[in-house]
Amino acid sequence: MWKICVSSSFCILLVAGGTFAQGGLPTGPSPSRSQPAQAGVSGPSSGVLESNTFLEMANRMFDPTSDSMDFENGSFNWKGKTFNITEQRAFRSRFERFLLTSPSEEEVQYAALMNDILERLSVANNNTDDAILDTWELLFRASGFDIDGGNSSVVANQVFNAWRVRKESRGVAMSQKELEDMRKYQQEVVANRTLMADKLRQERMRNATNAGENEKDASGEGNLTLNSEASFRVLDLAETEAKILALEAESASTGLQAKLQFQSQIVSFLMQRRFEHALVLSGFYQWLFKGSHQRLEVGKNQLEQLLPGSDLSYTVDSMSFIAREAINDVGSGVDAVNAAYSEGRTMLALERLQEVFFLGEYLTELNEIPTEQRRHLLDLYRSLMEASDLAETKDYVGLTVLVEKIAQLADDFPQTRALSGIETAKSMSDMAVFAASQYRNLAQIDKARQELRQAIEIWPSNPAIREFQMETTKLATAGSQGVKVFDDLYQRNEQRAIYERRMELGFALSDDPERRPLLMEVVDQVARIELLVMQSQELVKQGEAYAAWELLMEAAKIDGSDGPMNQARAELAPRVSDFVLQLDRADRQAANDHHAGALAAYLAAQDVYPASKICREGIAREAAALMRGLQPVKVE
Amino acid sequence: MFSIKRQSTHLLSHSLLVAGLMLCGILLSACGRGNFSGLEALPVDDYVEKPGNFLGNTYLLSVQIDSQIEWKEGVGRILAVEAEGSSSRIPIFVPDTIEQNLHVGQRYEMRANIRKGGLIYVEDLRKF
Repeated sequence: MWKICVSSSFCILLVAGGTFAQGGLPTGPSPSRSQPAQAGVSGPSSGVLESNTFLEMANRMFDPTSDSMDFENGSFNWKGKTFNITEQRAFRSRFERFLLTSPSEEEVQYAALMNDILERLSVANNNTDDAILDTWELLFRASGFDIDGGNSSVVANQVFNAWRVRKESRGVAMSQKELEDMRKYQQEVVANRTLMADKLRQERMRNATNAGENEKDASGEGNLTLNSEASFRVLDLAETEAKILALEAESASTGLQAKLQFQSQIVSFLMQRRFEHALVLSGFYQWLFKGSHQRLEVGKNQLEQLLPGSDLSYTVDSMSFIAREAINDVGSGVDAVNAAYSEGRTMLALERLQEVFFLGEYLTELNEIPTEQRRHLLDLYRSLMEASDLAETKDYVGLTVLVEKIAQLADDFPQTRALSGIETAKSMSDMAVFAASQYRNLAQIDKARQELRQAIEIWPSNPAIREFQMETTKLATAGSQGVKVFDDLYQRNEQRAIYERRMELGFALSDDPERRPLLMEVVDQVARIELLVMQSQELVKQGEAYAAWELLMEAAKIDGSDGPMNQARAELAPRVSDFVLQLDRADRQAANDHHAGALAAYLAAQDVYPASKICREGIAREAAALMRGLQPVKVE
Repeated sequence: MFSIKRQSTHLLSHSLLVAGLMLCGILLSACGRGNFSGLEALPVDDYVEKPGNFLGNTYLLSVQIDSQIEWKEGVGRILAVEAEGSSSRIPIFVPDTIEQNLHVGQRYEMRANIRKGGLIYVEDLRKF
């Protein structure tokens, strides 16, 4: 009993939903009809959300760049230091060029030479003038290598400039010494002149008592002569003092300028990630200036950019430390890349390699990455970039192929997650197309357009969109003849034919208040029959032949002339002949008002299929009729 | 001689006694079935196939009650019963005039008449 009730309810539900599930008839804008269409599809916002979610996932999945690289802001962050990364395209081209090149003998020689220079500049080694000069000469050899980029010449020029300044300072020092000698002489002259004037004045004072007024006048003239000479000597002395001060100022200025140029170049090398050259220049600086002026006076703005948020006072030593740390980090990074690659973690190796490459682009430590490995990573890198482009353009078919290729290149690539994301996006697009067709059938063109736009947005090359457009075109063409076709079929009671052409007829009769309800009625009926037939076929597969027959009996009550339904009955009848025999007998007896005979036949049929709904209803019906016949007629 | 005669007389009296007892048994048995005697059993399968062929006949039914299908006060009840010798259930009508408690699963012998429309009308019944 329960089973029958459940089965019936399920059928009713399916019938209700089936009209839509099968691309059912346009039923007008009644809320009860449009609701399933809306419930069965996603809203526009959820589709966009899905699309965005996939794009975000694709961006993460197909983007091999490290989190420390920010191409939007053009920065690369390494241990709190921020470098200018330039735009992604430029970085990509340099990175690909690196992956395409092979370590050369020239680079090995260059690496050895730079190590030699750094070793020579070490404080633990011989730092005589001759040794430093030899080291300086090595810079010109280093600048001859392509990989050096001429930066060693810049270092050499800086050192040479410092030397020149120092030489000029020596010349200034000599002039200053001469002036100081002259000043001493002039001071003595001025002092002697003053002394002599005082002596003369005292001698003439003694003779004044003996002499007259005329003599007083003569002595006045002698004093005037001595005073004038002394004042000239004072002027000479002042001039000499001024010259000395000017020379001192010039010397200080020239020396400071040389140091500032050095410091500026060190910071500049750091910013350019020329860490070896920064180290070499720092080494020369410390040798040339003997530890004085270690505090950085220039490049504060650049340092603020390189070390954001730091208010520390930096020295040349701290710049050396940063450069050395970077070189060491590149070395360990290369080891990590090689280890990850050898363990089959190719995606991880590629990600780390980009970090290492950017930091140590001008360092020869990168030569530790073998050529074969570079080529493999290049293939993976290019495939990932292409996949990223395909994801951006939402070419899911091409992307699927590429994902499989990437999975072959990298074992640690999350292929399943990628394919799952692609399938989800495709499904969402398909659902939007389906919703669009539903709305189109309901003559809700605006909503249909909205759903179609969403389907295109999620998956522009979805083949279902093309099919939808072709179907719509076909419907529009057939719509003009729809009225005549419907009238003809309806007159001949060809309900199945109407049902099969329901789409175009619905389109054609959407504004026809007379025919539209008739069309709805026919389509509803045939849809119910169709569902019952499908249900019965499913039950036959499950071995429930009698239950299947009952569904076909239900369908026959709706329209006994339906072709597919009758075909299904004909196919099933031999398997349920004992049941059918009793039911037919019951029908015949009931038709002749032989209710007892009908009741007996129903009981016999129920013995064959105890769960029969038809038998249960027939028994109740015939028993009631029988009882009515047995009731004594009341006489008034 | 005398003993032979006496022996034969004794044997005869015994035979008569046995015959008398058998006759009594038969008579008692006939009297016990009352108005069920002489009735033939309903051919159930044939009845189900063509109930019209049995109209007006009276049969003896040995059945077990399967279920009660319908009851109407002052009229009677329609029962589904399983007849002996048949796998099919058949409907019977028991009028209210038969005042007996009928329970599902109980076995009865019934005297039934086939009436209009193939109705099996129970005229009398008893447990067995």
